Parts: sequence; C-alpha cells; structure tokens
Amino acid sequence: MATAEIDVPAEALPTLAQANDDISRPIYPPSWRYYLLLAICGIGILAGGTAWAIQIRNGIGMTGINNPVSWGVYIVTFVFWVGIAHSGTLISAVLYLVRSGWRTTINRAAEAMTIFAVMTAGLFPLIHLGRVWYFYYLVPYPSTRLLWPNFRSPLVWDMFAIGTYFTISLVFWYLGLIPDLAVLRDKFTGIKKKLYGAFSLGWTGSVRDWAHYRRLYLYLAGIATPLVLSVHSVVSWDFAMGIVPGWHSTIFAPYFVAGAIFSGIAMVITIMIPLRWAFGLEKYITKYHFDNMSKLLLFTSLIVGYAYAIEFFLAWWVNDPIEKESFGWRATGYYALPFWIMVFCNVVVPMSLWFKRTRNNLAALFVVTIFVNIGMWYERFVIIVTSLAHEFEPGGWGIYVPTTTEILIMIGSFAWFFFWFLLFSRTLPVISIAEVKEHLAHEHEHGH
Amino acid sequence: MNNGDTHRNGDGVSLPTVDGGNGTPGDTSRRDFLKVLGVAGAGAAAASCGPPDMGDKLIPYLVPPEDIVPGTNVSYATILTEAGGPEPLGIHATVRDGRVIKLEGNPRFPNRGRLSALAQSALQDLYDPDRIQGPRVRDGNGFTDTDWDAAIAALAGAIVPGRTVLLTSPQTGSSAEFYAAWADAVGAEWMAWEPLGYEALSSAYEIAFGIPGMPQYEINRADRIVSFGADFLGSWLSPVEFGARFLESRRIEQGRQAKFTVVAPRLSLTGLNADEWMAARPGTEAAVALALAGEVARAKGGEAASRLSGPLAQFTPEAVAERAGIPADKIVRLADDLASAQNPIILPPDVSGQDGATTETHLAVALLNYACGAIGSTVRPGEGPMRGESVSAEQMRGLVGRMESGSIETIIVAGANPVYGVPKSLGFAAAFAGVDNRISLNSHLDETAAACDLLLPSNHELESWGDAEIRPGIWAVAQPVMRPIFDTRQREDLLLASAALGGESPFEAADWKSWLETSWRASFEAESEGATSFEDFWFVMLQAGAVRRAQSGVDPNPTLRAGALERAFQLPEPIEGFKLTTYAPAQFYDGRGANRSWMQELPDAVSKAVWNSWVEIHPETAGPLGLETGDLVEIRTSAGSLTAPAFLYEGIHPDAIAIPLGQGHTEFGRTAKSRGVNALDLLDGSVDPQSGALAFSGVAAELTAVGERGRLVILQGNDTDLDREIGEMMQVDDALEKIGGHQVDLRQILETAWDSDPKSPYRWGMAIDLNACTGCGACVTACYAENNIPTVGEDLCNQGREMSWMQIMRYFEETEDDGFQTVHVPVLCQQCGDAPCEPVCPVYAAYHTPEGLNAQVYNRCVGTRYCANNCPYKVRRFNWFTYEQPYPLDLQLNPDVTVRQTGVMEKCTFCVQRINRAKLDAKDEGRHVQDGEIQTACMQTCPTQAIVFGNLKDPASAVSRVAKGARAYHMLGELNTRPAITYLAGVSHAPLAHGGHGEHADEGHEEAGSATDDHGAADDAGH
Repeated sequence: MATAEIDVPAEALPTLAQANDDISRPIYPPSWRYYLLLAICGIGILAGGTAWAIQIRNGIGMTGINNPVSWGVYIVTFVFWVGIAHSGTLISAVLYLVRSGWRTTINRAAEAMTIFAVMTAGLFPLIHLGRVWYFYYLVPYPSTRLLWPNFRSPLVWDMFAIGTYFTISLVFWYLGLIPDLAVLRDKFTGIKKKLYGAFSLGWTGSVRDWAHYRRLYLYLAGIATPLVLSVHSVVSWDFAMGIVPGWHSTIFAPYFVAGAIFSGIAMVITIMIPLRWAFGLEKYITKYHFDNMSKLLLFTSLIVGYAYAIEFFLAWWVNDPIEKESFGWRATGYYALPFWIMVFCNVVVPMSLWFKRTRNNLAALFVVTIFVNIGMWYERFVIIVTSLAHEFEPGGWGIYVPTTTEILIMIGSFAWFFFWFLLFSRTLPVISIAEVKEHLAHEHEHGH
Repeated sequence: MNNGDTHRNGDGVSLPTVDGGNGTPGDTSRRDFLKVLGVAGAGAAAASCGPPDMGDKLIPYLVPPEDIVPGTNVSYATILTEAGGPEPLGIHATVRDGRVIKLEGNPRFPNRGRLSALAQSALQDLYDPDRIQGPRVRDGNGFTDTDWDAAIAALAGAIVPGRTVLLTSPQTGSSAEFYAAWADAVGAEWMAWEPLGYEALSSAYEIAFGIPGMPQYEINRADRIVSFGADFLGSWLSPVEFGARFLESRRIEQGRQAKFTVVAPRLSLTGLNADEWMAARPGTEAAVALALAGEVARAKGGEAASRLSGPLAQFTPEAVAERAGIPADKIVRLADDLASAQNPIILPPDVSGQDGATTETHLAVALLNYACGAIGSTVRPGEGPMRGESVSAEQMRGLVGRMESGSIETIIVAGANPVYGVPKSLGFAAAFAGVDNRISLNSHLDETAAACDLLLPSNHELESWGDAEIRPGIWAVAQPVMRPIFDTRQREDLLLASAALGGESPFEAADWKSWLETSWRASFEAESEGATSFEDFWFVMLQAGAVRRAQSGVDPNPTLRAGALERAFQLPEPIEGFKLTTYAPAQFYDGRGANRSWMQELPDAVSKAVWNSWVEIHPETAGPLGLETGDLVEIRTSAGSLTAPAFLYEGIHPDAIAIPLGQGHTEFGRTAKSRGVNALDLLDGSVDPQSGALAFSGVAAELTAVGERGRLVILQGNDTDLDREIGEMMQVDDALEKIGGHQVDLRQILETAWDSDPKSPYRWGMAIDLNACTGCGACVTACYAENNIPTVGEDLCNQGREMSWMQIMRYFEETEDDGFQTVHVPVLCQQCGDAPCEPVCPVYAAYHTPEGLNAQVYNRCVGTRYCANNCPYKVRRFNWFTYEQPYPLDLQLNPDVTVRQTGVMEKCTFCVQRINRAKLDAKDEGRHVQDGEIQTACMQTCPTQAIVFGNLKDPASAVSRVAKGARAYHMLGELNTRPAITYLAGVSHAPLAHGGHGEHADEGHEEAGSATDDHGAADDAGH
C-alpha cells in the first residue's frame, strides 16, 4: 500500500497542467442538467421545510411517534447521517496517517460529504424537539438563572461530540483546500479571482508554505483520528446509556463505529460513481480506488453482521427473559420486515463483494451500495423503534408508524445534503489537485 | 350476633341527628372538617363570585364575601343523586373562587369519603359545553332562544289536567313529596322511571319476605361471597359503598380473605376480582342457585331443610349440572363451602343476567341466602339503599299505548331520558313524537330533550337545592355549590312557577328552597324536642351533608313466606344459539356518562377499550368465524341488528355474547353523539311477567362476521405481564404463612443519598394493595380532574397518545385448573430513588427533589422525550399537541396545577400541589406535616382504599407500616430503580400456575429455596 499507484496505463497519465484543467473543469459554467438537479433539491428542501414549519405550529403530534416509541424517523435519520459523516475523516485522516495513497482522489469529496452530512444530521435533534424554540437550553451559556445543561445526559455529550467533529472536519477540509484554492485563484479573473484569492490565504506554493502546510495537515489528521472512534461511540451511548432492552449493551460503541464506516464508505461510492462519470474524472478515480473501498465495505459488513449475531447470542446466553423476548420480537414481530430488510441489505448483499468481478463492475457496485444505504437506515430504525416498542412493561407496548410529515422531512434532508454537495461540486475541486499532482509527479518521475 | 347495635353501625356512617347531636366526623381530619362549610341562608349561591365569565379584568371586592379567601379552596357538602351513577353519593365539592373544581367523597356517608369514576366525572356533566344554555323553543329542526317568562307560560299552558304526564327519575325525600303534590295540584300524573331499575330484586324480596325494596348487603361481614353476576363493584346498586365493604372482607393482614365465587355467564369488573368462576350457561343461574340452596339446606338441616327440600327436589346438582354446564362436583363443593361458612353472602344478578324470568332468579338467590342463614345477617331485607318508586318497563309499555291512543296531550320530562333508554322495540320514541306537547326540563340536550318542542333547562344538581332519603333513616341534603353556569333554573321552581301561573298558586311556598326549608322545619319541630334552634340544626346539617332520623322499623329477622316456595320453578330449557347479554359498564352506567370525555377515555375495566362499543365473544366462539379482536361483527336479534368490533374475551361463556350499554347516542352532545352502538336496539322488549322488568339479556342472537376490520382502541399493549414482577399474585395460604412469619422492609433500600436529601424530613412514598384494587378506574378519573389532564379523543388514543398519568393494567394469569385470575395494577410514576428518567434529561427538566420526588419542570422541558424512552414503567406522557378545553370545561381546571403546552413531557408527581399546600400550612404552624394530612387525588377517591400515601421517613406513618407488609414488592424490582411505590401482591384462592409467585416478596431476604427459579436469578441482579 505504501507505494500506491494509480491504475491507469502510464502513457495515459495526464500532465500536471492537464490535471489542473481536468479537475477544475466542472467549475466553469455548468449545463442545464446541473440546474435541474439543483432545482429538484430545492423543491425537496422546500417540502421538508414546510413540513417542519407545520410541525412547529401544530406540535410534534404531526409525527407518528407515541407513548412507548418516543423516538422515530427523526432520530433514525439523524443517526443515519452521522454515520454517513464517518467515512470522510476515516479516509482523510486515518488513511493519511497510515500513508494509504489511494485515498488521494477520493478524500476531498469524502470530506465534503462529511461536512454536509453533519450539517444534515445536526438539523434532526432540532426537528425532533418538542419545543424547538427553546433549543438554546441545551447550550451551556451563562444563564442568569445559573442553569447549565445536565452534563450527565448523553444528549449533551452528543452535542459536544458532533460539534467537535464538525469543527475539526471543517478545518481539516479547508486546510486541504488551500493549495487548490490558489490554483483556482490563478485560473480565474475578476470577482472569482478575488474570492478564491481571499480564501487561499495568500498561498504562494513556496517551500516554506508547503512545510507549514504539511506539518499542520499531519497534526490535524492526528487530532481527527480519535474522533472517528469517539463521535459514533458517543452517538451510540444515546442508546446504550438508556436502560431499554435492545439498547443497553456494551457492544454498542464498536458496533456503531463499524456501522458508520460501513454506511459512510457506501455513500462515498454511491456519490463517486456518478460524479466520476459526470465530470469525466475516469483518469483520476479508477477501479483501483473502487476496489479498495469495496474491500473496506466488505470488511465493515462482516463486523456489522457479527454485531447483529452477537446481540442475539448475548440475549440468549445471558438468559434475561426480557432481553430474550425483545430480540425474539425484533426478528419475528410487527417489525420483522424492517429487520430482515436490514439483514439482507447489510449482511447478504455485501457478500457479493468477495468477487473481484463485482468490485470492478461499477454498475453492480452502485447497486450494492444503494442496498447498503437503505439497509443502514433500516438498521437504525430497527434498533431505535423495535426496542422502544417492546420494553419492560408489557401493558405499555405499542406500535409506531411514520407519518407523511416525517417522510417529507427525511426526503428534505436528502435534498438538503445533495443541494450542498452540488454547490460544492461546481465551486471547489472535487479532487485534491495538489495531492494528485504530487502523485503524478511521482509517477512521471519513476514511471518513465 | 345480629343484635341491633352491629346493625346500627353496619352502615358505617356517623351523622348528626335531628335532636341536636353533632355526630363525629368519620375519618376526616380536623382540617378537612373545618374546611367544609355549612352555608345558611343564601348559601353558596350568593357567596360564589358570579357567572363564569371572569373576563380579562380582575376587580377586587369592595366588601369581600365572608366565605371566600381568594386562592383558597373551600368545600361544600352536598349529594350526587343523578350524575354520579347508581347510588346517591355524599360529596364535598371543592370550590375555588366561585367555581367547583373537584369532587371528593363525604366521609360521613355510606360511600365513606370515596367516589367512583363516574361520580368524579360529574364535573364534566356540570361544565358540559353541550348543556342547554337557556330556555329554547322549537324552530323547524332546531331550537331558538326564548325568554323565561314565555317559556314558563308555555309550560303552564301545556298542562292539561288528566292528560299530562310528568316523567322524572326516581325521587326520595322532600322531592318525592313535592312531585306528588305538584302532580296532584295541577292534575298531572307523575311517573318516575329509571332504565336500570331494581324492580325484580324488590319484587323477589316482597314475595319471599314481604319486604319490598332493596336489601342491605353487608359484604364486609362475609367470609364467603358468591355472586350470580351482580357487578357490585362497578355499576350495581351502590358500588362505592360495596367497594369499602368488599375490602373489609378481604383484609388478609387481619387473617380475613373471603373467597369470592362468581356463577354467571360473564365476568364483569367485579367478576374479574373473583377467586373462582363457574361459567353458567346464560339463563341457568336460578337453577344453580336452587341446587345450591337444596344442598346447603340439607347440609345445615333445621327449618330451612324442612321447608326447602320438598320444593327443590328436582334441582339436584346432577340435573342442574348438565343444563348449566357446570360439573356437579363443583356445585356440591360450593354448597359445602356455603354450608360451612360462618357468614356467607350471595348476591343476585344485575341487568347482565336479567332475562324474561328474572324475578325467579332473584327469588332463587334469596332462597339460597335463606338456606345459608344469611337473611337477617349479611343480607338485610328492606334496609338497603332507598331508590324511590319507579315504573317498570311494562308500565312504560302502557304509557306508550296511552301516547299512541292520544289520551296523553302533554309530557313533561324532567331528569329522564326515555327516548334513549327505552328499547326501540317498545316504541317509546315513535309514540313520544306523536304527543302534542313535549316539554323538557332536562339540563342536557339528550335524545328526549331533542325530541321536545320546549326546553326549560334546569340547574345541574351541583347548582340545585334538594334532599334525598338515601337509606332508611338517613336523609341527605343537596345545596348549590356554585351559581348556575348557564341561564338555567331550579327544576322545582319551574314547576312551582308554572302551577302559580294559572292564577292562585296551590302551594304556600314561593320557591323550592322555601318549600324545602318549611318541610324540614316541620320535621325538626316534630322530632327535635326543642334541643336546638332550627337555624343551628340547618347549619349543622348542611355542613355534615346528611342527618340521621328515626326510621320506620323493619323486621330484622324476617321469615320466609310460604308463597315463595309455591312458585313453579322450572329446570331451564337447553338453549340453542347465542344469548345476548347487555351490561352497564362503570364508566357509562345507563348512558349518562357518555358525553364526558373522561369517561370515554377511561379504559373499560374488562376490555381496556375506549371511545367505542364492542362485542365480547369467547375465543372458542370466535375461532370458527375467523374473528379477532377488532374485527367487525354483526349481531342480529328479532328486534334488529347492529355492527360493532369484536373483543375476544375468555371471561364470557361460549354461548353468550355481551355488549356494553350506554353508547350509541344520537344526541346528547359532541362527545357522545354517533359513538359506538346502542345495545338496547337489540332487545326485543320482553319483560319479566312478575316485576315488569325489562329483559336486558337472554335474547336469542345471531352472530356473523362482517369480514372487515373495525377500530377498537385498546389502551393496553399486552394482556399478561409475562411474569416480570409487575402484577404479582400469591396464593392465600402462602400469603397467610408469610404474614405470620417475617416482615419485609423494602424501605431499607430507600435510605441512600440518591433517594432524598438526608436533611429533609420527608421521603414521599406510596403503597398500593393489589388485593384491594378492583380495577374500577376511580383513581384514574380523579387524577384527570385534579391535575388538568386533557383527553385526546379516539384518533389520538389509537396512536398511543392518551395522557393518563395513571393507568390500571389488567393482567391475566393462568391457573392450574385452566382458568385465569386477574390482577389490576395501577401504574403511575414510581418516583424512583434512582430514576432512569433523570440523568438523561439534557436540561434538568426531570430532576430529583430533596423529598425524593421525580419532579418535572414543565417550563424547562424542551421535549427530547429521552426520559419517556428510559422510563421502564412507561408512565411519562408527552403533549403531542396543545390540547384545549372548550368553554366552560376550562372552568374546571385546577388553578394549582400548570396547564401544559405542546412539546412538554408531563407525569404524576404525587399531587405535589397538595403536598406543597400541606407543607405551607405546617410551616405556618411551625410543625412537620402529619401523617394522613396529605391525600393524593387517587388515594382520596379509591373506594377500596387500595392506595396509601405518606412519608416513608416516618416509621410510624401508615405508608411505612403498609410497605413493610409480607406481600410487598417493587415493580420491576430487578432494575433497582428504588421506587417509592411499594406494591402488595394480590391474593387469590385460585391455584395459581406459577409456583414462583410471591417469591418477589422475599426481596432482600436470604431464604433457602427462594432463588431456585428464574425469578430468583433475576432478583440477584437487583440486589
């Protein structure tokens, strides 16, 4: 892995100037298709926003959540997006630290995805609040009543964990962008030149610049790496710290982290395949990258499958009647369909990645990752909803069915996410130009 | 044994007497007693601060009324005779700033300070937005406002001597005299009618002992109870009083646990509390009673044997067993039990067993009581609740005939709703529509009022003067507790005014209040022998709510009349097909509770369903039809058909199907209208020939599956507790053994810093005795009334969004003889010492008070709902919307309790407003709160005193003592949440299937063998 190679024939290797042009080409005035996509996303955001506005006016009763099941699609989708946000840091920081060169062409998009996913996820705790107009009670501000948030509550930990993650990810992403912004500054004129120039912070490309840049990038990668583990561990504690059968388990942190990486990688692949096609980046994002990501997907699928199995094993082995009943019901009760969708999508379908033919077939890979995206949403649904529906007090059992409001807001969240991603793809280089050129220079030197 | 003294005290009431005795105020505390005001002269009406529109301006009194301290509750003693259900109930109405906000029982009455759910909801009857708000006259299909003078003139003009009928509910006391005198003076005929009458019971006791009227059932003294179906804890005769009496017969800590057997086709609310169920085929109750009587008489010998053996010869257990579907050996064993019991008591059927020969059944039960020696002992003919004269269904049929023939020109309805309550097959509604003058004095726009042309709405009884003789010798008075909320008048005043309008008033009294006072003054002067002044007496009586007067003598030991044995008792014919049974559910009774949302949203004790009607079907019957709970079924009888969702119920005989009464209103208000079905439509109008009582049951019915799902909202997730230490039961022998042995003290685990501040003198706690809880739901409704809990309607209930802070879970447990037992578990916030809800709240809205309460700060709550997820008892309720009470229901809101807005979590806090009030009072007086000073709303109303509240840090407090009981356990104790509520396991005579039951009571004890089953292992985790 240390001597990473881009899997294209040497004679096809673009020159450094070509790379500049290729990668920044999307930034030139886009076609009508782009505006169509943007408009679709805009409508989605509008629909979700309207649903939210109605919900704020009428009450959380617009959702389907009820007495035993107090958390529904909002929290499911929240965890889903936090999970998506995971691969960015993993690919950027961890693979950077272990010198996995294959990250080069995908890290920028993955990092952007992380930021937009956190921005999406961060909406849901607000959307789900009963009285969102008092959201600031959750913030530790110096209140005249001397009231602080309850630092014993996992929800407060959660807020800090995600806040930290967002900040570090944003800084890390921006730092990586600086040399590329300078490239863009040099390519454009007028207002664009001024804007890119301002954000490139006077980058000159001098050796001194590069030395500072590399050092800072390394430090930030080091700081970001533990966050890969911490964020989703803390999110998992939203559940594991509760006493609800089906939540209260020590395997939750690693289980959620693996799930998050799994879903994040799947989403990266889902986005990269059309992106590569649309922007003509075949030379830069190659089967080699997809093959590696597929292997990571397969590996995390195995971990997730193991976690599913071990939950049932523990319920049986500990022999707690309440836990046993809850898990039995999860697989066979009212919500058996979501459960088996989850198993099929997350455990069965990814097994096709054992075959190189699947890994190298982008169409097949795309389908697999769509399954994984769906499966991971259902995983969170199964964990949250089925556990709450069958708790300790059998008289209090109940069923939850999502309503249109919730579905609209969930669709709106996808629209919101892709809206940002579309804007990103047309204003900033989706591949790190600097890093690609570094590799190309290396290849040109040693390949010929 | 049956001397006069025990008998005198048997009613359990202490009242002032006419000769000036003050009585002692029952178990009321001194404070409560002083707070109850007697109001002389203008009374509460004048003292109340006026009509409900308090507007947006607050103007201080120039001369403040004497009784009112702003922001302070005062109580007035009065009675509920109509709105509270089958029995007249003594109440203390809590009034704040001129409006009544809560009803409590009056401890001096037979209801002993307790109320039923229906009585608690009388406030919603008073503040019903659908009441008639002023005089109205028909205008096409609707009504238009008129003024009182015109309305009264129209009423007076419509009274045609000899062709006028005044139809009221049954009356006693001065009201009965008044109506009779009024009818006499104007030449009208007065008929009192009630839909669920007791004609057959009265008739049977007249035949058997020559004493008509209700017997007094002293269940409290019984050591063996058998019921032939009477729902005496729910809707029969005097359920609140019977609740207290039933409890006394089952005080296991005192070594008493009367075994209770039900012989009936259906288990009612009361039936679910039985130790044993003999599922008799519908219509065979009389035969079983006679077989038992024969066996008991033979076993006991003596007079009863000689008199009964001949006439009952054909009723051998074997002959009856075949017809009734009960094994002969079970009948013999029950007879042996009854014969060997010291004080057995046998209760008759209620309307659910009232078929076309119901007098025979009542007579058979009376004979069984006689054979057992219960007559004159536990069953006292003629000493029961006074009902007042009433007409039977047969007489109503006669009235219908007269209406049809045109011999009646005017009908004045006052407090009765026959258009709804008389089955269609009797044709009342149709005949009524043909009467020339139809005038209603009802206060609600019910079906009868809606069919009238002239509406003169009368005051609600909480706004009225009146009196009633509730027991032989006990007279209760009703005083208005607030000014009329609408433009209504006292009912009797309307009649007086109409009589006076024709010219000279035939009466001396100008209004009803002076009539009442004159009548009482006359009685006082005749009976008091000048001990005190009348004014003093009147004041004392209003304060007490009732007075004891000399009673006419009833033979305490009546003899069986020969006529009773000459009746031609027949073995029942074998039945084919299904028999329909209708019954009165505790929440609706005869339908009067249907427009109260608290009652619609109170889960039925049996089905736990809300806001609908349902058809109870045995699973064996439903199976071949492919029916499941919630599927629509069509019931067809010769009188008609209706469609309703099925409820599969193990507690009904496979040959019977049951439908609750009280729903299916076509008028009566927004809550009741078009909801459920009216089971009366299925009755064919046949009556019992002896008493004229309507056959509410025994009608042949056909059952067909419609093939569609209906909607039956059931507010309980699962019917069993899966053995999770929630609703525990013990066998009676185990319980007695444990009680005799060691004591369990669960309080020890409460003494940690988590639970309450060590410096605080209080740790509030509760004990709930599941052996006492009958599942009647009074506590639930009291909680709604006290804590401003909104009702949410059927749709939201269906989504699992009911707001009840307290729910009674009805858990079934299998027994070894393939039957089942039921344990009712009131589930409310357990105020855990180590509460899972508290640490997860990000904003400290859920926090722990120094006194150990899990408080909820509504203003701080942002609505993450994590607390509700983490509550293992599922007792937190979220405001999914802002629920608003339509005017004037909002006037009932308790000003001491915040009204919550959307997005806020809420829950029980042991009526913290009452705790704080008591603490403030105590602080003023420089002392600690005394035990018994605080009663939570649920505890205060519980007819069986199943709930005890108090300070766990005070070892002498009632709750500390009860919580130390041998039956004590903590709900889901293995979670170690250290709840402040201790449950005491239910006790049953039935062979419970789980030998391990009751093991939880051993929590904290090391006893060999107790940890051998699954529970033991689970317990270990909790220690």
